[in-house]
Amino acid sequence: MECGETRQMIQDHIDGLLPPRVSEKFREHLGGCAPCASEEAELRGVGDLLRLWSAVRVEEREPQLSALWARVGAGIEERRKPWLVPLLRRWFWLPAAAAVAVLTLLFYPLNGSMAPFHPKSFDVTVESLESDTATVALVDKGEELPRVIWIIENGNT
Amino acid sequence: MSADDKVRHPDEDLVRSALGGDEGAFRDLLERYKRRAYGVALGIVGDPDEAQDVVQDAFVKAYYKLSNFRFGANFYTWFYRILVNQAIDRWRKTSRSPTISFDDAWVSGETSEPGAMVYPKTPEELAGNRELAEGLTRAIAALPEYHRTVILLREVEGMAYEEIARVLDCSVGTVMSRLHYARAKLKDALKGFRER
Repeated sequence: MECGETRQMIQDHIDGLLPPRVSEKFREHLGGCAPCASEEAELRGVGDLLRLWSAVRVEEREPQLSALWARVGAGIEERRKPWLVPLLRRWFWLPAAAAVAVLTLLFYPLNGSMAPFHPKSFDVTVESLESDTATVALVDKGEELPRVIWIIENGNT
Repeated sequence: MSADDKVRHPDEDLVRSALGGDEGAFRDLLERYKRRAYGVALGIVGDPDEAQDVVQDAFVKAYYKLSNFRFGANFYTWFYRILVNQAIDRWRKTSRSPTISFDDAWVSGETSEPGAMVYPKTPEELAGNRELAEGLTRAIAALPEYHRTVILLREVEGMAYEEIARVLDCSVGTVMSRLHYARAKLKDALKGFRER
């Protein structure tokens, strides 16, 4: 194996990517070639040094890192809050939706048997009186039931 | 968290519990990966406070995106994707001098003459060698962001090319070329500390 070929394989060798037979020839070459062996050691040393560097820098930060969960937990809560606002806003629709549901059920009950407030179910007599300014309607459901009087004046009830 | 804990409670189990509303399980995931995540974030953004913010934001984001995690995949690969994107975004926003040349970095770093030092072999030796530690920090910062990220994921995290490609959403070939470039650049930058 030539030096040029060896140099091109150094990084693959460091990463363990050379096939076993090529790797064997590569190591044979390094054994007899000081410049190539030195180049390989320097490139390998970069990784060793980076791992040491990382270990040292992480160790220096250990006090702050030991309290990281407190900060992350606070961050999780903080980010949760903005979601609460739209949720609360949505709650404002609930009373309106409930009112619509109640009214719908009153007039159109699910079982279809009774519709206590539907005008069609009223067994009444209606009398209308008209004047120049208003229309008056009397709704009489019977002797023992209340009498309803509608007055429609200028389009308003 | 020990390796035993990881065997007893694999990542996927913790994710499942967290999705079920168990915040303690998510905390266990955080405790498991926070140091490694900080090491990567620091390598990308350069500043310790910024790096911690990045890790914090990444975990918060991961918490809310946990339902997107696909069971069967590696949790840390999934999480690192969030982390690395967060770190690169932060670095782009805060970096005042995004393009530092290697020569500038070393001249401004006032390093000693080539061959002044021998490489440390333990974290304690490196911690005691501020000049080298700071020089390495500057050399990492002088790399283009994606080269920096690739070499950290490979050398510090020990991730496979394919995993790095998934995290960075690029091809394995791109990962290899970036890694080779970054290694060669750092090797040249560290030459002064190695010889003598």
